[in-house]
Amino acid sequence: MADRPVTLSRHTWRTLRARRRQTPLLVVAASCVLVAAAVLMIFPGVAPHDPDLIDGAVAFQSPGSQYWLGTDNLGRDVFSRIVAGTRTGLLGPLILAIGTTLLATLVAVVAGYLGGHVDALTGRVIDVLYAVPPMVVAIVVVGITGGGWWIALAVLLVFGLPINIRLLRSAVIVRARLPYIEAARTSGFSGTRIMVFHLLPTIAAFLVAVFFLTFTYGIVDLSALSFLGLGVPPGASDWGRMIAENRAYLFQNAWATIGPTIAVVLVAVSANVVGDWIYSRYESRGRTR
Amino acid sequence: MASGPGKGVSRTARGSAGPNPAGPALRFLVGRLLGGAAVLLVVSFALFALIYAAPGGAEQALAGPYASAEQRQAIRETYHLDDPLLTQYGHYLRSLATLDFGASFLMREPVTVSLARAAMVTLPLLLSAWGLAMIGGIALGLLAATRRGGAVDRWVSSTVVVAASTPMFATAILLTWLFGVKLGWLPTVGSGQGGIDTLRHLVLPAVAMGTVLLASATRVTRSAVMDVLDSDHVTFARSRGISSRRILGNDVLRNAAVPIVTQAGGLLIALTGGLVVVESVFAFDGIGSLLTQAIGARDVPVIQAVTLALAAAIVLINLAVDLAIFGLDPRVRRGRGRG
Repeated sequence: MADRPVTLSRHTWRTLRARRRQTPLLVVAASCVLVAAAVLMIFPGVAPHDPDLIDGAVAFQSPGSQYWLGTDNLGRDVFSRIVAGTRTGLLGPLILAIGTTLLATLVAVVAGYLGGHVDALTGRVIDVLYAVPPMVVAIVVVGITGGGWWIALAVLLVFGLPINIRLLRSAVIVRARLPYIEAARTSGFSGTRIMVFHLLPTIAAFLVAVFFLTFTYGIVDLSALSFLGLGVPPGASDWGRMIAENRAYLFQNAWATIGPTIAVVLVAVSANVVGDWIYSRYESRGRTR
Repeated sequence: MASGPGKGVSRTARGSAGPNPAGPALRFLVGRLLGGAAVLLVVSFALFALIYAAPGGAEQALAGPYASAEQRQAIRETYHLDDPLLTQYGHYLRSLATLDFGASFLMREPVTVSLARAAMVTLPLLLSAWGLAMIGGIALGLLAATRRGGAVDRWVSSTVVVAASTPMFATAILLTWLFGVKLGWLPTVGSGQGGIDTLRHLVLPAVAMGTVLLASATRVTRSAVMDVLDSDHVTFARSRGISSRRILGNDVLRNAAVPIVTQAGGLLIALTGGLVVVESVFAFDGIGSLLTQAIGARDVPVIQAVTLALAAAIVLINLAVDLAIFGLDPRVRRGRGRG
């Protein structure tokens, strides 16, 4: 993958090009991520209305000074609901991203370092699971069990792991064969110590990539699941749910549907752009060394 | 990330290198078919066990909420629902072996009929979305890679990052709003009444599904082509004075084909997940809607048949990709693995 020897000139040139290309998009994306994170943390203070307050008298209000994005069919404030939607909309992907990064790293580093039977077995399991589309499994499993949000999260976590383990494992295998690892082993360092202090730091860029890729994938898949009515209960202020429930009223107040759609797109795209950038920075730093 | 599921190929091929090129190919094919059958068996059992363990069983779907206790009991006996899991699964496997998928609880017709009807709606959608993504993606990727660092490349690359992380249903909703509500150009609900009408109904779902995949196809093509352009043999060909056009045809495309084909299969598989969502947005009566309806109504035979059909499709796509790579890459064919 990115492990071929690279000539310095090409690398410098590529980095320069990448920086020039990514700057404006990156600034927008980074601000979106920061705003989303801020909203998630101080959400009750930001929402101008109670997101779950039903008031038939103000149903289908157009966007205005009182209801910034108007109200839905039950008179609930759309903007406040989008704000409240950060709970499931961002926390779920965050849990997914953290869980995937930790588990994938653990498996990849141990299998990649130990090699032999452990690695072969891991490879086999990954090969089988790799072709399984997590989304289809999630739809079937959550649909049949009638299980909620946590089951959806668990399924996406398990079936999202193979691609990430594969990515990290290939990075570990290349590094585990380098002379400095051999030297550390000869010096009598324990396997754990070599894995944690000698291997792990060198794949930091890949960890960041895995984290942000999984985060994006979590936003996309979890919101798609709740859009299908799987995961979060009906009426919850969740972006996917809001889109599904307000879709029938596109003519009355389009913002009740378009608003959460834009929220999903903005956060997913921003996370991806930021992850892409951090990854390329880390990676290029590793290359110059 | 281009070196995708092809790894299994090289390993299999390497293990059976022989002087006769048909030998390893045949052995490879048989091995993969057996593997595929095993995968389907595992999927069918996992699904069966899941349905067995789930609350609110098939008798509720068949009898509805108002059935008496005796009616329920009668249904449980007809469908062997009180047998232990493995016995039930045995019954199920025996009927599967005779290609009997059962009858839909909901539509009171053989599942194969429902499945075939839905497939006829889904296949055109799937193929047009996939075709759009592959043709557009390869064209854009080539364009960007051959003009690396230029305005086109920068524009394509940043658009791709945005498009690749936009959820399919979000694209679908935005398209519905723009072309259905604001402009009123295209129908946004249903799958059409045949002829031109069907085509018109196909446009928005196909674009919604195709956009995300077009982005990933572009990304993979671009990096695959750039990798080849950076290689020594291209530099050498240039230094010999061979025209850029010939280099592109003879060296670049042939070498970049393997990751692109791998990606093409991956995209088709990724489409199966998107299918369910996009069909739900556009109320398209295809496989995806069939699955969501069946899940909502606990229509067990349909759930089983659709899931098995999807699993079989995935196995076949992977097999097709591996065979294509076998044909495309002489290194794999001769059992030397991929470089």
